[in-house]
Amino acid sequence: MAFAYFLGCIMNNRYPGIEKATRIMFEKLGIELKDMEGASCCPAPGVFGSFDLTTQQSIAARNITIAEDMGMDVMTECNGCFGSLYETNHLLHEDEDQKEKINTILSEVDREYKGEVNVRHFAEILYNDVGLDTLQEAVTTPLNLNVAVHYGCHFLKPSAAIGLDDPMKPTILDELVEITGAKSIDYKDKMMCCGAGGGLRSRDLDVTLDFTREKLDNMMEAGVDAIINVCPFCHLQFDVGQTEVNKKYGTNYGIPVFHLAQLYGLAMGLTAEDITVDAHQISADPALAKLDEITGGE
Amino acid sequence: MLSGGDKSEKQEKTEEQPQPDPELKVAEKEERPQSDPEVVTEKEKPSEKPAETAPEKEAKSETPDEETKEAEKTEEPIESEKPVEKTTEAKEEKPQTKRSDSMTLLEGREVDTLTRSDITDDFKQAVIDAGAETLSICFQCGTCTGACPSGRRTPYRVRQIVRKSLMGFKDEVIADDSLWMCTTCYECQERCPRGIKIVDIIKIVRNYASQAGHMAKAHKMTGSFVIKTGHGVPINDATKALRKSVGLNELPPTTHEFPEALEEVQTILKTTKFDSLIGYNWESGELE
Repeated sequence: MAFAYFLGCIMNNRYPGIEKATRIMFEKLGIELKDMEGASCCPAPGVFGSFDLTTQQSIAARNITIAEDMGMDVMTECNGCFGSLYETNHLLHEDEDQKEKINTILSEVDREYKGEVNVRHFAEILYNDVGLDTLQEAVTTPLNLNVAVHYGCHFLKPSAAIGLDDPMKPTILDELVEITGAKSIDYKDKMMCCGAGGGLRSRDLDVTLDFTREKLDNMMEAGVDAIINVCPFCHLQFDVGQTEVNKKYGTNYGIPVFHLAQLYGLAMGLTAEDITVDAHQISADPALAKLDEITGGE
Repeated sequence: MLSGGDKSEKQEKTEEQPQPDPELKVAEKEERPQSDPEVVTEKEKPSEKPAETAPEKEAKSETPDEETKEAEKTEEPIESEKPVEKTTEAKEEKPQTKRSDSMTLLEGREVDTLTRSDITDDFKQAVIDAGAETLSICFQCGTCTGACPSGRRTPYRVRQIVRKSLMGFKDEVIADDSLWMCTTCYECQERCPRGIKIVDIIKIVRNYASQAGHMAKAHKMTGSFVIKTGHGVPINDATKALRKSVGLNELPPTTHEFPEALEEVQTILKTTKFDSLIGYNWESGELE
């Protein structure tokens, strides 16, 4: 098994521990991740999709052609990239006229979108291709954490096009999280958006933070040790955004944030430094201290 | 608002003068003892109490000011009953947008009625042609707005935007700042009983807004980062060091590492005229 590994922006350029954890994890699982050399921003669906859909589709299609040249399906670990690439791939696959239009643009750089590969999300690959049993075997350090799973918006939705799981009451991430030994705790409005998407974070931070505060409130209410996400942008929103919420509202939230890849990293014995959670704005220490209770701090 | 203090005061007043003012019937109070007696009187149906409501009407027209004031002050419990002129008047005066007035986005917003002259011919068709072929089957149930997390905290109303697009109110809809409060979370689209691709509509309408120059500086900046580096969020020194510390290459194998790949991205952005859309100056590397 091998995938064309699409990095995007926020993971590799802000939270490299997610990338590191993924590379190590996939090596252990025996899955090859091949770099998509020269890939760019997906591009950011909030800004590019809103400003000019033709541009958004052209840049996304260019990224997909890199994977087509490699003859591999694309894997991304970001809901935003997944949304941007999946939707474009889906559209150009179905709409011959639009495909022709985009290919006319791509011909300027000697590329052609053919529609030969799939765009896949990291979490879905783990669930469908690797399987929970294999993942369980790979867990060396079971995690005794109670966590709030945050699905984000563009992993499962629009469900009519993606069709991975029930968009209202999904279980895919909860099942993946619980394989590590962690417990997924239900909380109010679990499926609600973090508030960052659609360009809102850069357009109106106050409104974005109002979303985030509501989510944090509901997570606190449920008494969780950490937030688990599958999107570096949601990840950034819960990490950086959490400090911004504290500053704006005078609150004192301190819920550690882990991307699913980082959670698996911990469950496979990686250190906090390996997965760069020590560089997060919100300290991961409370969660790590709880882990030490069972591992004896090893 | 109903307030306890006012109520007892009024009741006393009512009891003091039962005869001269026929509208303030003490007897009616007994039927709905918990409501403000004056409101009860005003709302009483003729069919229920024909004998007493007949003089009531006369009395009302004699004291319109007082009546209206009361109605204004009072939450009206049953709206459908007996549309007395004064009551309607009072209702109209009740400012429906009071709660939203405090939201910054509403400040300075025109409340003028839209007319035929505000319609841009073919806007609806243009939105449909651009990919939102489901636009025209919307029957305005409002499920979208009810599901919208942004609508709970901003004046953004998805249903309104869909309706205005359907009506062709292009200028109105593209100039509305609240259009940009959508996080594209798809909650509306997932629940739409007609399966309308609502987020597609929002994006297409935003495309028209952008063409007309309604773009936030921060968004244009993200666009300019992609033009300059190929990334909306480019690498920085802190992350380079962090990447190195865990054994990754300082630069990811993206447009950051491959200049010829960045050139491809730039060529595409020139071809689609994205650079001129956001006003990117290639010489200065800044936005105009």
